[in-house]
Amino acid sequence: MILLQSHSRFLLQTLLNRTQNLEKGVELDHHWVEFDDVRYHIQVSMKNPHVFLLSVSLPTPSSETIFVCGLPFGAIEAIKAAYGNLVQILDPPRDGFNLTLKINLSKLPSNQEQKHAFLVKVASVREVVLGAPLRVVFQHLAARTVAPDMDPVVALVHRPNESFFLFPQADKVTVVYPMRFNDSIDTVLATSFLQEFVEARRTAGLNNTPPCSWSLTSPLELKGVPSDSLSANAGFVTFVIFPRHVEGQKLDRTVWSLSTFHAYVRYHVKCSEGFMHSRMRRRVESLIQALDRAKPDLEKKISNNRSFKRLSLKDSRTNSFS
Amino acid sequence: MDPSTSRPAVVIDNGSGYSKMGFAGNVEPCFIVPTVVAINESFLNQSRTSSKGNWVAQHNAGVMADLDFFIGDDALSKSRSSSTYNLSYPIRHGQVENWDAMERFWQQCIFNYLRCDPEDHYFLLTESPLTSPESREYTGEIMFETFNVPGLYIAVNSVLALAAGYTTSKCEMTGVVVDVGDGAAHVVPVADGYVIGSSIKSIPISGKDVTLFVQQLMRERGENVPPEDSFEVARKVKEMYCYTSSDIVKEFNKHDKEPAKYIKHWRGIKPKTGAPYSCDIGYERFLGPEIFFNPEIYSSDFTTPLPVVIDKCIQSAPIDTRRSLYKNIVLSGGSTMFKDFHRRLQRDIKKIVDARVLLSEARLNGEIKSQPVEVNVLSHPIQRFAVWFGGSVLASTPEFFTACHTKAEYEEYGASICRTNPVFKGMY
Repeated sequence: MILLQSHSRFLLQTLLNRTQNLEKGVELDHHWVEFDDVRYHIQVSMKNPHVFLLSVSLPTPSSETIFVCGLPFGAIEAIKAAYGNLVQILDPPRDGFNLTLKINLSKLPSNQEQKHAFLVKVASVREVVLGAPLRVVFQHLAARTVAPDMDPVVALVHRPNESFFLFPQADKVTVVYPMRFNDSIDTVLATSFLQEFVEARRTAGLNNTPPCSWSLTSPLELKGVPSDSLSANAGFVTFVIFPRHVEGQKLDRTVWSLSTFHAYVRYHVKCSEGFMHSRMRRRVESLIQALDRAKPDLEKKISNNRSFKRLSLKDSRTNSFS
Repeated sequence: MDPSTSRPAVVIDNGSGYSKMGFAGNVEPCFIVPTVVAINESFLNQSRTSSKGNWVAQHNAGVMADLDFFIGDDALSKSRSSSTYNLSYPIRHGQVENWDAMERFWQQCIFNYLRCDPEDHYFLLTESPLTSPESREYTGEIMFETFNVPGLYIAVNSVLALAAGYTTSKCEMTGVVVDVGDGAAHVVPVADGYVIGSSIKSIPISGKDVTLFVQQLMRERGENVPPEDSFEVARKVKEMYCYTSSDIVKEFNKHDKEPAKYIKHWRGIKPKTGAPYSCDIGYERFLGPEIFFNPEIYSSDFTTPLPVVIDKCIQSAPIDTRRSLYKNIVLSGGSTMFKDFHRRLQRDIKKIVDARVLLSEARLNGEIKSQPVEVNVLSHPIQRFAVWFGGSVLASTPEFFTACHTKAEYEEYGASICRTNPVFKGMY
């Protein structure tokens, strides 16, 4: 797995499971947490096995991010556009959550493929909600306009109390990520990973991908932003998105990749640590083998023999005489 | 306060057959997947032979190979459809054998299945009571170094199985756990949350042997099962149709009198040709689980029945715990799920105990009457993932976070802190 998938595996599994045995009443009450502190809660009661309640809580926004009624801007519209009338938004949401959706499983499209596509869409609720502002900006970009009421710098939440920044213009959108890591080893690995990442962009065959750069200090665009949200120990990554990256089908993938870029880097940093460990383990094994081979034969013989040798009467006699 | 203590802990129970993973505070694990990794090793082999010049290409190929692996059901289907993937089972007989594969397995569990950031959650892992401290250190090393977990607790799976019963009835942390998994079977006495290490008995018969025995029976009868599928079919038959009989002779008679009622049919499709086939399932339905009670029908190496092993185990425990141990015999693991397994076990143990009591009374000429010994074999519906459930219960108590080894401690003292894990207060 190189990229993180946009749907939550467990949510999709549960939804598929539920729709396959709709008649069987089950009590379901499950909660779990995904990366970047997105929490889910699902509930199905014995009485109404058709009604599926899904609550989502988003990471706490930092001060510069704007949330409308507890959701990023454009989220309500995005939910309505994605799910149509199959899903109902409950107001107010469950305690401690930002959004509660009520899904009636008996009213899903009967066509198997459509149904599956819809369930995958429900399972990617996180992409729909958290990616909503990005989607708005990119839709304007595809039309080569700038939303009239938009600030020059848009901050979007992607981790608890942390945001990344967008600079929408008519012909391009610049996206800047301050990269932060808790662990010193992670920071070092991430820094070199990101430098490689920028380097890899230059190879032939990747000419059409968004230009990408990395710097230790914050780029000039971020001048107006308060400095405490700019403390990044692994530098800043900048992508420039052109209209060709957000045309038609590409929009969904671009939105998902950009809104989880930080999680993606974290995942690969952990992977590379794991791979280094497996290399180290292999090396240690080969060194031990070399050491074993270097042992003199004499020593081997002794260690192979039993430490106590019972002497027979005959042996002891020959020993004493010799 | 550490924000990760406000999030539910991740509970992963890695068994030889299946791994159960999920978040603390839930009733069921999120995923139950086979503990298997399919690795693409074709890159590694070619890199030695090719010339030095294209080392960049080699390097990249190696990097890609590192990400090119699958776990669980995906791994099984991948290895079936293409020959480039090799299956590796990281855990054998309850012990981790291949740490590389294990690390990859955990990586996919965390990032692909649970999709959580390991830095955000405390972790509860399980181990068998016979695991060496070194392998616990190794686990700690991987968890803290690779995944940067904020806290880790490695629990003994039999203690967790006891803890699973703790919510449903009384708070009882004394009992015998009969843990029969796919690859290992142990009888573990636990007193007040502490494992009595010297009295642990293990038996070489486990779920896999039941499968093998069923397979052998079907093959000997000449059932029409394609050889490459026969193990999988035997496993399915075991999981779906096997049950425990109270008496084999009676059961044979029952089957012979009413074959229509007892003989089941299995329908499948041959993987190579796609042709459908069907076969009968007869005596193996009750003979499979019978190997726990009469092991001599399966192998001549080990002939002590499970009830006798349990009785011996309790008899070797300290004398003041024996009564409460007999009172609380808990089943855990997938291979104790056969219908009426606990009834048969309880009856057989009771028989042994009663015979011993009678004998001692006869020796004393009936002068002293001892109190009857209570034998209880408990079974609950969640037996299959009782260990995971116990972990979920434990990890949702606030004491759990204080009992964990933290990242700071690990950095201060090193991996040796993982050798011991405190039994904590919330468990009583």
